[in-house]
Amino acid sequence: MSKRFIAGLLALVMALTMLAGCGGGNEPAPAPAPAPAPTPDQGSAPAEPSPADVSGDVLIYTSMYEDIIEAIKPELKKAFPNLNVEFFYGGTGKLQTKVAAEIETGKLSCDMLMVAEPAYSLELKEGGWLEPYVTPAAETLAFDYDKEGYWYPVRICNMVLAYNPELKKKEEIPNSFYDFAYNEAVKGKTSMGNPLTSGTAMAAVAALIDKYGEDYFVALGKQGTMVESGSVAAGKLETGECDVIMILEESILKMREEDDSQLEVIYPTDGTIVIPSTIMTIAADKSEHNNIAACQAITDWFLSNEGQKNIVKGWMHSVVATYPEPPYDAIPTQEILKNTMPVNWEFCYKSRDDIRTKFQEHVTIPESK
Amino acid sequence: MAAATTAKSPGSVPAEKEQRFYFDVKWVIILAIVAFLVIFEVLPMLYLVIRAFTADGGVSFHAFQRVYTYPMNWMALKNTLITATCSMILGVIIAFPLAWLVGRTNLYGKKFFRTLFVTTYMVPPYVGAMAWLRLLNPSVGTLNVFLKNLLHLAENPFNIYTVGGLVWVLTSFYYPYAFITISRAMEKMDPSLEEASKISGASPLKTLWTITLPMMAPSIVAAALLVFVSAGSCYGIPSIIGAPGQVHTVTTRIIDFVSIGNQDGITDATTLAVFLMVIANVVLYVSNFVVGKKQYITVSGKSTRPNIVDLGRWRIPITILVILFATVVVLIPFASVATTSFTKNLGKPLLSFADGKLVTDNFVLRFWERVVTRESILQSAGRSVLYAALAASFGIIVSCVMAYLLQRTNVRGKSIPDFLITLGSGTPSVVIALGLIMTMSGRFIINIYNTMWIMIVAYMVKYLLMGMRTVVSAMSQIHPSLEEASLISGASWLRSFKDVTIPLIAPSVVAGWFLIFMPCFYELTMSTLLYSTYTKTLGIELFTYQTFHSQQTAAALATVILLLVIAANWLLNKLTNGEFSI
Repeated sequence: MSKRFIAGLLALVMALTMLAGCGGGNEPAPAPAPAPAPTPDQGSAPAEPSPADVSGDVLIYTSMYEDIIEAIKPELKKAFPNLNVEFFYGGTGKLQTKVAAEIETGKLSCDMLMVAEPAYSLELKEGGWLEPYVTPAAETLAFDYDKEGYWYPVRICNMVLAYNPELKKKEEIPNSFYDFAYNEAVKGKTSMGNPLTSGTAMAAVAALIDKYGEDYFVALGKQGTMVESGSVAAGKLETGECDVIMILEESILKMREEDDSQLEVIYPTDGTIVIPSTIMTIAADKSEHNNIAACQAITDWFLSNEGQKNIVKGWMHSVVATYPEPPYDAIPTQEILKNTMPVNWEFCYKSRDDIRTKFQEHVTIPESK
Repeated sequence: MAAATTAKSPGSVPAEKEQRFYFDVKWVIILAIVAFLVIFEVLPMLYLVIRAFTADGGVSFHAFQRVYTYPMNWMALKNTLITATCSMILGVIIAFPLAWLVGRTNLYGKKFFRTLFVTTYMVPPYVGAMAWLRLLNPSVGTLNVFLKNLLHLAENPFNIYTVGGLVWVLTSFYYPYAFITISRAMEKMDPSLEEASKISGASPLKTLWTITLPMMAPSIVAAALLVFVSAGSCYGIPSIIGAPGQVHTVTTRIIDFVSIGNQDGITDATTLAVFLMVIANVVLYVSNFVVGKKQYITVSGKSTRPNIVDLGRWRIPITILVILFATVVVLIPFASVATTSFTKNLGKPLLSFADGKLVTDNFVLRFWERVVTRESILQSAGRSVLYAALAASFGIIVSCVMAYLLQRTNVRGKSIPDFLITLGSGTPSVVIALGLIMTMSGRFIINIYNTMWIMIVAYMVKYLLMGMRTVVSAMSQIHPSLEEASLISGASWLRSFKDVTIPLIAPSVVAGWFLIFMPCFYELTMSTLLYSTYTKTLGIELFTYQTFHSQQTAAALATVILLLVIAANWLLNKLTNGEFSI
């Protein structure tokens, strides 16, 4: 009998090692308590840090896609060989929840945030969670930034419409956000993001309710618009389950370049919703590693030509006015800026709960159903 | 022997030194298990209830009023009850005959079918949801279009984005829970009663109806309730299948509330979670104290093989029926997932013929490459293995001790940990996670938030039951005389447990270990609330790729998991000469 037991144990161990073989080995030690890492600089007024100077650890919460993070990591390593930069990816909603929970403890578990829109930056600045830093790159920016240096836009995401030219003609489908909700020809065949989990979707619905009023949400609900993530929606556009979707330009561009996708972007006639996403440094005493010098160097890098090159390679638009080219297959940034639907960031931040609630009541689960 | 099994309380132990020693150990172990469950399960849940009533400072029903007078939440409550109930009924209707056919008849290929049905338990449900979404979406679902053309229908026959669709997918992923539970009970049922019925001239069907079914009733009820609670507390499937059709359940509402990120959101989530908890507890009460009291199952000491019912001329038609079922419920969705992992453009066929030549443009290995090379995925996979293995190992130790306590002793209070373990498994995952977040982040001394331990604890609370049940049922098949012999020969309780009991139940221990390991390995609902920077797991990774980055990568990852599960099962089978498989 005990032989059988030994055989069982053996099997168990083997199965385990086999499973572990696919991914074990490089398990980083779990970080139980936030341990203060080597902090090269405690001061708040550093001199221009040179790349080789900065060292230690920096942890960045970001909503940039993991493909893009993977591409940026080696570039950062090249720029700052002594610095260990870690990214923690999460949807905007997830990260905001995480940050909210951490705020209750009086300290954040990260050093920088590259998440969400200016509305969120305003909120964090007001709460005293950010470290100011006036970067020399500020004057090159084409978009609003905080004059005291609490936050800077670092990448431009555009909310647009998209369709599948292999299945539909552009003339047959809505070319504006307005028609997206009101054109009955695409009833039950539209999809958009969830403002509860996505920061860009939140900004978009804030702009739309600002422009078209609450009726717009009612119309979306009647239209049977599916509320889901961009990747799922794009899949539905490919299979023809959806005719037109509201999605980030970058998602479509990425598929076009990487997967030879035929999906096409429609820059809505009532204006593209341009959403600058910001970069922020957490106040020294409230951050995980208290590595301000490194955070400032990273801010400079992201706003430099080199950093922006990676942003544009990641299918987002550059924030630098003079940056020469748009992402793969996109129209020039200046073209887009000619026709935009403005987002009132103050409104977006102050009325966030209200907007989300209305969206849920009318679109996510319309009461009429 | 009498002393070993009829002790009334620790105080009344005879003064003999050696005996007192093993009673002490027993009590220490029970207390440790109870303490663990009280700290990590009971207190967090109590805290949730208290918080729901005292959100505004004093004791009040404000939060309740706000949450439960909101029509949107009512809709979600209604949907949860409907989908869970329907899945439960459908699941048992499917699982019972299957368990009987596989366990007690001469169905062709029954061993293969058994493995196949249990394999479904090993696959993350949300992966299946994704497959069904592609197969049965109302406009261009592959299966829908196929059926429409086959039957010359005017419209696609199915719409997955409905309550019915949700029930279907929930059922197809949770019936294995019932299948496993019922199969196990069938295995340990004494066949002599059935033989008696047969000898008295009853037909196999009559025996099934008058003997097998009534004897199985408690297990069937237990299985049904397990399906009910699992389906009702599932997040992945409703978020993928329900949400696009505006069908929301309590779990999707809770996660939405948590996503709002502010204090009100958390309060609303808590309040809604209390509802799920109450339902689950009522269900448990019914199963444990009303139905569970009737112990029909008679088990003899001898290891008898249950007699096999000859299906006669029905053997082939029934086998065909089972094959059909397996094809629809298991093979087609899995094949769909596997195909997706190689497909570049989801709108086009993977392979096609043009001018008599095979077109392979749409076939790519890129997603597979990504899965096996991307650092973050590999790290998460490693973590998942570690966390699940730890949860399963701790869990199986608890299970073994519990099995001994329940089957071999009359210690007073032994049913307390048993009840708590059942309660944990019946508690919706979201509730466990929320409770742990609020109580384990340093507010009450213990701070394991943001560490792997909070996840391991959560996994154990939720998934201990499957392991425990497996070991308990194995234990009930072993006659106590062997252990008594060991005790009489002077071995301590621990020693006889280690040297006699454990080896005898080893196959079940391993099976139980895997039954805990697998759901922890790909767990999503709790992990999604509990994970942090350095504790991202495979379930999260899979779900993130599925919803945010690339469905094909997610499909490749899911296929890898599936292949690993099959390989592990095969290996176990091989190494033990068919002694056990999952």
